[in-house]
Amino acid sequence: MSETNTNQREPGSDRDPILEAENHQQAQRAPLSLKVRILRRLAWLGRLTRHQLWFFLIMMGACWGVIFESFRAHSWRRTVRYEFGVTLNSVIGGGLIATLFAGTLTGVAAVSQTIYWLGFAGLAKMTGSILVNVVVREIAPILVGILLLGRNGMLSVTELGLLTTGGQIRSFQAQGLDPFLLLVMPRTLAFTVGGFTLGILFSFAALLTGYIISRISGVITNPVWTFFYDVVTAMSGADYIIIPLKFIVVGFVVGVGGCLTGLTATNEDNLRTLLPRGFSRGMLIVMAVSVLFSLDF
Amino acid sequence: METRNVGPVLELNKAIPSFEESGLPPVPFSMRLMPGECAVVEARDASRATIFADLCSGLVPLNDGAVKFMGLDWTELHDREVNALRGRIGRITRRPSWTDFLGTHMGIMLQQLHHTTRDVNDVVAEASRLSEQFGLPGLPVLRPAMLSDADLLRASCVRAFMGRPHLLLLEDPLEASPADLEDAFLSAITTARDKGAGIIWLVRSNAVGQRYWQGVTSRWRLADDGLVAVRMG
Repeated sequence: MSETNTNQREPGSDRDPILEAENHQQAQRAPLSLKVRILRRLAWLGRLTRHQLWFFLIMMGACWGVIFESFRAHSWRRTVRYEFGVTLNSVIGGGLIATLFAGTLTGVAAVSQTIYWLGFAGLAKMTGSILVNVVVREIAPILVGILLLGRNGMLSVTELGLLTTGGQIRSFQAQGLDPFLLLVMPRTLAFTVGGFTLGILFSFAALLTGYIISRISGVITNPVWTFFYDVVTAMSGADYIIIPLKFIVVGFVVGVGGCLTGLTATNEDNLRTLLPRGFSRGMLIVMAVSVLFSLDF
Repeated sequence: METRNVGPVLELNKAIPSFEESGLPPVPFSMRLMPGECAVVEARDASRATIFADLCSGLVPLNDGAVKFMGLDWTELHDREVNALRGRIGRITRRPSWTDFLGTHMGIMLQQLHHTTRDVNDVVAEASRLSEQFGLPGLPVLRPAMLSDADLLRASCVRAFMGRPHLLLLEDPLEASPADLEDAFLSAITTARDKGAGIIWLVRSNAVGQRYWQGVTSRWRLADDGLVAVRMG
């Protein structure tokens, strides 16, 4: 500290000349008008909201971007088709056994128990509608969403996160390869198709296993065709739209969420921060979709 | 998108890069590269050389001035046009650019497959020919992580010279390369120049590639005060 500076403030004095000057300047400023104060508050509120909701907002934009780009023939270049094919193979081919296994377990644990207890309570006629509403419409999308997230969603988070932090995404851009077009769009659409396919297979496996267990244990004596006919006739017209739509939307949002979590990684991120973030976001997304569909329909 | 086939292939016109975004000094960069020319830019700092190549590719925001490639200002183009133009740039970079979920062969051919409608067999044939030219036994199909650094460098050269690039941004591959790569590299540069490509060869020191210095049309130094022309001869 120079001698001049030390002389500005006397030792032991309570007065701070810098603070005092600042206070003086503030006091001299004209009072803010009401309009300016309101605008400032609104700006602060907007900043806070955007900061809290930025991922949600990015996701909304990306969802629209994927839908918009997917309808443009020019977007479907062979590299994009290749990525779509590889991801689709990974999602459906890789997840098939796990999905069928989960469906079988659900059939044993939920479907057969439902059939048993409804029969026990004399409500066997409601078996079809309850299985459709509980297993196919509520449980299946959530479990398939979790399987998609765990098997392929987390893989996308990791791959794209490492590409982003490692600089490969920048290299893609330098080659004129748009990461959104090359990676996000085909992967999201592959997840969408995969969500629908695995969801239907899961539901079928669960119902079939439930029927087999119930038949073996003697709870029901109907042939399998009658059982499935009961389930199908218990479905309303809206169910034929909502159930597939739920599978499709779950696959879509898990795909977008996983890709975006990876692409929005910063240099400070690593696997220890990326994976928990990706998983918690994915779970929230799956649950939110499930709840939204339950509320609206 | 109307591209220009006459005039400079790359033109930096008092381009002042954003310091916050790039780390390059916020001073005017001016340079003009005609088709078939080869400019050597000496940059001691490797990361700065990469950012300079980014600047030429329109990846660095500017505070002022313009960077034009084939007569088109990067900042005035839409995303699709920008990407299409970047598809005409071949690049060897020190920045990680290989992805493990694609095989090396896909990494090499990705740019051509994405930006052109060339027959896949043609692309594969060209990639195989260039791979052999650069000393690889054929088109590498292993994952990049399974290749040695020297082979990855050769694969980077193959990728950069694929197709018919109008501009080559080469962050010196000869610096730590096997001796046999030099001949192939210089030969590829000559061929590319004959086809009208402009070349920016970023080197860390003048000691590298001295055999080719006679063929160089201009020399520059990337310094704190921007791009400084170095007297030839």
